[in-house]
Amino acid sequence: MSEQDDDLELRALKRELDDAFATTRPRRGFEDELWLRMQARRPLGSRLRDALGGLVQGIRAVPAVPTAAVAGLLVVVLGIGVLALSGVGRGGNAASTAGSAFNQGDTNHPPTLPGAFGRLPSPRLGSGSSAPPLPAAADPRQLVPGSGYVGPVNLTWAGKLTLDTPTLPVFRYHEPSTNAADQFASALGAVMQSRPGGLLGEYESSDYTLSIRGTVQAPAAEPTFVITAGPSMPEINAAGAAPSDIATLFLAEHSLVPQWPYTADVQSAGGASHVRLLRQFVAGPYGLAYLVDPQGDRYGLEVDLAGNKPTMATGPLPVTLEAASYPVISDGQAIGAALGSSAGGPGAPTVQLSQAEVVYVVVAAGDHSFYEPAFLFSGSFTVNGHAYLERILVPAVDPSQRSS
Amino acid sequence: MLADRPPFEDLYREYLGRIYAYIRAQVPTAADAEDISAQVFMNAYQAYGRFEPRNSTPAAWLFRIARNATLDHFRARGRRERLRRTIEHQPLAEEDPAAEAEERIQYRALLVQVAELPERQRDAISLRHSGLSFEEVGNLLGCSEDAAKMLYHRAIKALKEAVRKVEQ
Repeated sequence: MSEQDDDLELRALKRELDDAFATTRPRRGFEDELWLRMQARRPLGSRLRDALGGLVQGIRAVPAVPTAAVAGLLVVVLGIGVLALSGVGRGGNAASTAGSAFNQGDTNHPPTLPGAFGRLPSPRLGSGSSAPPLPAAADPRQLVPGSGYVGPVNLTWAGKLTLDTPTLPVFRYHEPSTNAADQFASALGAVMQSRPGGLLGEYESSDYTLSIRGTVQAPAAEPTFVITAGPSMPEINAAGAAPSDIATLFLAEHSLVPQWPYTADVQSAGGASHVRLLRQFVAGPYGLAYLVDPQGDRYGLEVDLAGNKPTMATGPLPVTLEAASYPVISDGQAIGAALGSSAGGPGAPTVQLSQAEVVYVVVAAGDHSFYEPAFLFSGSFTVNGHAYLERILVPAVDPSQRSS
Repeated sequence: MLADRPPFEDLYREYLGRIYAYIRAQVPTAADAEDISAQVFMNAYQAYGRFEPRNSTPAAWLFRIARNATLDHFRARGRRERLRRTIEHQPLAEEDPAAEAEERIQYRALLVQVAELPERQRDAISLRHSGLSFEEVGNLLGCSEDAAKMLYHRAIKALKEAVRKVEQ
């Protein structure tokens, strides 16, 4: 087995572990049962104190009604802005096919209403670890999975970072409901089979099974669909076509070709191919920025092929994105945060960070989650003749815009 | 209640699922995982007044309690099982099919493989994929951040080999 295959296997295993820990949950009802048991075991005095506290809080809440009315008004105003952005009423090919009906709203819209989402949650980069407040880097050193180097390093900067914009767009989506998942599946021609814990639904068509998952909190991941081919999945009839073309044909047959910008990446070994359509966001004046996972790896919609036969396809469930611009830290602050993220001391190898780019990361947060901008720094270095790649993710949104 | 300490119920709602998953990766039955999860949050509830957010994140604090409770469970279970097998020749406890049917677990086979790893490797994988940073994993396992990374790296390779053997 080649190193590349080995690396792919390790990455797949890590993804599977992320899913395993994110979806394993106690039986339904256990959470409330246990909470009631805990409450019942509390001393009577503290229960009475809480009950009285709740009563006082209820009395205090009465004068807050006008505030609630103002908040309602704001929601209406923002709602109008959102409707204006969602593509409704723009004509075009909305609802003409399954994919486009959903993808229509899944495009990057020009940002509006600066800071309209209020204070933002902090990203959890690096498999869910909480990001420290800026200017310190968030989970600073991200090694390429499988690279194996785990020691401390000294960091230097020898690249060029010019952002030229004080703000970048943040994108927000509403957590999809089971109803939305059912509609997506139905538009693909798949029929619901069950709703196992941790999934919005499992569906079947004659050729494949479809699983749909909502947002995963840690490590953060957006709502995702997975198509697993059955034995009757037909080959794509395109003799001599490149794997990326075969994957695109398959997606087109199912109206799943992304409406967002992407670049294609193909890895092939022994007749099998892994085609990745790496997602990009329109980051205002900066241009296109890749979506990366907490390890800094680009991702998007992925199709596995065995020859001309698709075996699996997975990608983000199309959701409607709203956009709002947010102030970001300066180039100098970003570089400082990256360099300050590691102090290797004497004897530790020196890593010269030579590249930096704006990327987007998922930030999971309850009913609404976000795609937020970040700076991805990278540089290669050598230890004992082995080459390694170092990556550092630094959240870009100014800390003053954070909720915590 | 201190201003920087969230209400315990917020912590409970946010972390119960993650703590349960961590414990479930260590123990063979859903019933055991529920018992230990209950013990963890009962203990945490009682100790919350002494929790100091400046010294530890809520996640690290709760996972420390969970790890201790799981180790206690294994110690007690080991004593019970040895006693039972010696005196009554009873077999090891098995999963109740009804509880298994109710449980929300998608990757049973993989979690079984994790559970069969040596204790520290199992812990490194479970804590890391429960969302803790390597620094937090190191603190919990009593080693440095770099040693935690090394341990995790070895564990993931061992798990890969174990999975490969099962598939062959």
